[in-house]
Amino acid sequence: MVRATVCASAALLLSLSATAQDAQVKDYDVIYAPAMTAPKATQAVLTDIAATEERWVAVGDYGVIVTREKASQEWQQAEVPTSVFLTSVDFATTNIGWAVGHHGVVLNTTDGGLTWTRQLDGFGYIDLQVAYYEEKVATLEAQLDALTEDDDAATEDDLTFALDDALFQLDNANFAKEEGPTKPFLDVVALSADEVFVSGAYGALLYSNDGGASWTIRDQAIENPDGYHLNAFEAAGDTLYLTGEAGQLFRSLDRGASWETLDSPYYGSLFDVHVDAEQRLWLVGLRGNIFVSDDQGASFSAISLGDAVNINSVINAPTGGVYLAGNAGVVAFIDAAGQLHKDSHPSGAAVSAIAVTDAGELILVGQRGVLSLAQPQSGQKGEQ
Amino acid sequence: MSQQIPQTMDKGVFLERLIFKFRPFWVLLFVIVTGFLAWQASQVRPEASLAKMIPTNHEFIQNYFDYRDDLASLGNVVRIAVENTEGSIFTAEFQKTLQEITDEVHAIPGVDRARLKSIWTPNVRWSEVTEEGFVGGPVIPDSWDASQASLDQLRANVLRSGEVGNLVANNFQSALIYVPLIETNPETGAALDYKSFSEELETRIRDKYQSDTVKVHITGFAKVIGDLIDGAMQVGTFFLLAIIITLVMLFAYSRCWRSSFAVLLCSIIAVVWQLGIINLIGSGINPYSMLVPFLVFAIGVSHGVQIINAMSANRVEGHDKVMSARLAFRALYVAGLTALISDAIGFTTLMVIDIAVIQDLAIAASIGVAVVVLTNLGLLPILMSYTGISERGRKYSEKVRNQDHPVLTMFERFSEPKWAYSALVVALVGLSWGLWQGQNMKIGDLDAGAPELRPDSRYNLDNKFIVDNYSSSTDIFVVMAATEPSQCIAYDNLEVMDRFSWHMQNTPGVQDVKSVVYVAKMGGYGLNEGNLKWFSLNRNQYVLNANTNRTPPGLINPDCSMAPIIIYLNDHKAETLKTVVNAVDSFNAEFQQEGLDLLMAAGNSGIEAATNSVIEKAQYKMLLWVYGVVIVLVFITFRSLRTVACIVLPLALTTIMSQGLMAMLGIGVKVATLPVIALGVGIGVDYGIYIYAKIKEGLDRGMHLNECYKYALDNTGKAVGFTGLTLAIGVATWIFSPIKFQADMGILLTFMFLWNMLGALILIPALARMFARFGKRIH
Repeated sequence: MVRATVCASAALLLSLSATAQDAQVKDYDVIYAPAMTAPKATQAVLTDIAATEERWVAVGDYGVIVTREKASQEWQQAEVPTSVFLTSVDFATTNIGWAVGHHGVVLNTTDGGLTWTRQLDGFGYIDLQVAYYEEKVATLEAQLDALTEDDDAATEDDLTFALDDALFQLDNANFAKEEGPTKPFLDVVALSADEVFVSGAYGALLYSNDGGASWTIRDQAIENPDGYHLNAFEAAGDTLYLTGEAGQLFRSLDRGASWETLDSPYYGSLFDVHVDAEQRLWLVGLRGNIFVSDDQGASFSAISLGDAVNINSVINAPTGGVYLAGNAGVVAFIDAAGQLHKDSHPSGAAVSAIAVTDAGELILVGQRGVLSLAQPQSGQKGEQ
Repeated sequence: MSQQIPQTMDKGVFLERLIFKFRPFWVLLFVIVTGFLAWQASQVRPEASLAKMIPTNHEFIQNYFDYRDDLASLGNVVRIAVENTEGSIFTAEFQKTLQEITDEVHAIPGVDRARLKSIWTPNVRWSEVTEEGFVGGPVIPDSWDASQASLDQLRANVLRSGEVGNLVANNFQSALIYVPLIETNPETGAALDYKSFSEELETRIRDKYQSDTVKVHITGFAKVIGDLIDGAMQVGTFFLLAIIITLVMLFAYSRCWRSSFAVLLCSIIAVVWQLGIINLIGSGINPYSMLVPFLVFAIGVSHGVQIINAMSANRVEGHDKVMSARLAFRALYVAGLTALISDAIGFTTLMVIDIAVIQDLAIAASIGVAVVVLTNLGLLPILMSYTGISERGRKYSEKVRNQDHPVLTMFERFSEPKWAYSALVVALVGLSWGLWQGQNMKIGDLDAGAPELRPDSRYNLDNKFIVDNYSSSTDIFVVMAATEPSQCIAYDNLEVMDRFSWHMQNTPGVQDVKSVVYVAKMGGYGLNEGNLKWFSLNRNQYVLNANTNRTPPGLINPDCSMAPIIIYLNDHKAETLKTVVNAVDSFNAEFQQEGLDLLMAAGNSGIEAATNSVIEKAQYKMLLWVYGVVIVLVFITFRSLRTVACIVLPLALTTIMSQGLMAMLGIGVKVATLPVIALGVGIGVDYGIYIYAKIKEGLDRGMHLNECYKYALDNTGKAVGFTGLTLAIGVATWIFSPIKFQADMGILLTFMFLWNMLGALILIPALARMFARFGKRIH
């Protein structure tokens, strides 16, 4: 039943998005305008970087996607059919990957990031929401009608409450149709060539199990009644972590089919979640808050870098340990022994994501586009 | 020559009788008028108004004027960088100085005190996102006590304030005071006096606080204007130099103090009249039209020389003082009038250039030339009829007449075939050089910083310091995003402006682009806990309004119908500006958003782009006009196309070679140098007219070409040589001007005056020889 609805709404979406596209021919719309070929593409604000077997792929403002072959120092701009601000990129295989961004845009590549196609945009996403909540309202109304006097009052109250909520969401979605897509997607994780999760602002959670051909709304799969922003995923085998605003932390042990809420060590925003080579779980976020867990999130200990700037990204270091990067150009290396080495990029620019080459050079992407930094060797020691 | 004596018994032409019959009356009238105009001249205002230096009818400037008030707060800013030459700014002593300077600047009239910014003003704050929201405070800690702890706190606050590169140098060795100006005093309504403001900065800031350890660097439009006015004042002293050199030359030429002083006096009177009339017609003197008194003086001297030359010749022949003067007038007034009229018309062709300073210069120069007719063709012969030529001068003149001067002999050779053709070959080589080099001639200003001033001037060194140490370019091109009222931050408009910013950012020569769009995106970033993934525009207008809440004044106008998009450039070379203009045009052709117009252009580079485009078009138009006028004038005078060719071709050679010279010296075609070409041609044609008139006279008498030329050289050639030299000296003193464009004008005019003189003395006979060979008759 649910699947049939999704298929129907996907068909509806296709026709609607075509209409929306036709309507945009006259006026500039950032969703449909192809990214400009830009000599300064690597200087645009960039937000995320992913590595495949062959190359690095970084995404950012103005629909910029740039790639760098592993054997090369040169960055090339990819062909991208949108100009929205992209926020995240992830690959399932060397060739198949996804990028997401503002205005509800989801992009897909099948050639390792050199060319991209648009799989979803915000107008289509709104239609999905409308269809989803209409379906939900109908289901709840049917359940309420089916109630007999034998059922207890609590069940009825629950159903009424759920119905009210669904109606409210439906109203929102219908209103959004006029306003246009306002909710950015913030992260994407590709579990396989078929399974993709997308998270976004105000609790948006989307799932596809057909490589992005159709999408299912999964907002209600997690316990997020306040609609906090969902900032970052991490996949480790069948286990998935999802974190976000107000210390939100969720875990799925079955590839996202069901989610549990974990006790968060922090009440502020968390910007990245990472599982390192030794299966330790890292959480980083606002004001230099860093937490690490040796027991899959059951308990955490805090780490301080000595200052209060946002930490946005954690990756594995090739020699063991992790690299962290954040605002004000802060880059830190915590080695396998837990020793902290602090550094910062002289530009002081906010770093949104980080990658490391075989030669040990760090590729930073952020406010000033692509920057590089020699591996932090030693430096100020922090306290753990 | 004796057959001329009976003529002297005539009463002469009406004009001559009118002048010489009432000599005392004319002298008295000249004294009264000169007195009155001297009083007027003493009130001439130096002016340096931006509006006059730009092509006000150009589309860019019209757009700029439409939003001028809204843009005012962007443009008129002075930046004062205070440098600690011994290291970091985080010392108690340096901070004390910085605080004192900030307070002192605060007290200078004309400063917009509310918007004055330095790390010592309370409006400069740091802010930070915490779990609870924004926290922040003034950069100077509330508990400031100049202790090391305070200094450490200050350093931390500076780092999180985002002012590194803005108010604090990237190397932390200097701090900047950002001083916005109020153009009109809100109490008195008086316009800001740039001269006194600039002086106050010097005396109250630089002189007072600069020491071995503290250096003060000041930049900004107000300072450029102040320095320009100061520099222009210095040029006044050059006038004295020009007078002295001219006097020496006059005496060397005539060996008679009386006539030397008479010529000098009449020429100075001409300058006084010119300045007085300028003031009477409500005009002032700007750094460009300051050239005119020099020109008027030089033109006056050169025509005066012709008078005393003729006068002493007449004395040698035995006429009395009055008759000598009358004969000199009679012999020269036609040629003199023709030459001066051609000068004046040559100058007025400058009126086709739609830039007020050039038009002012054209008017001033035309007035000046008209005045020279009265003083040096009218007053001078009258004065000379009283004073006469000294005995010494008369004897010298007699002596010179009877000997062949080696220089004259040399010039005479150029009417002989061998020398004539050699000269023509050399001229062809010069022409080829000029054409080849001239291809590299550039439009506009080529140097960094304030192009009005020399690259090594204090201002430009200060400017370089600030550009090197702070993240700001001083070459600014502003595109005005015009919308319906209250629509300037509407989502659809911002999105196109954002695309436009990116388009421009990827244009060669562009360093950075800033506008309210950037504020909106930064707002998204800042209001979402400093998460870079929100550095974007949102379709929700309420979100956008919140994100742009902290827009600095100037980035949107009061009724939100215009937002300037500020494009920072690498330099203001003409190619860079052209590339930028083309990039804007191509964007406008590709994207048309209803209700949004992206209008060029404001900012110094925007204005320069407009000026360049006007200059580029005017360049050829002006040449066509000036040559057209000269050709017609010469044709009317001599009724022969060959004569026109003989006179105009040497001028054209000079024009082309001076273009080569400009390319070689890196002098661009700009407001200052464009008029020089017209001035050069206008005055250069005098030489040709004087010389060819005598050659023609000889030919008409059936004389051989060589003889004709010798006759011409004897009669006017010497004076032409002298004229060329005096004119060249009059303007050559400008080469030492502290103002770059005045120096450029000086170099070019000196070159043109000398080269035109040589062209007239060498090429006219050579061309006449060539035409004589290929044609039956010359005229």
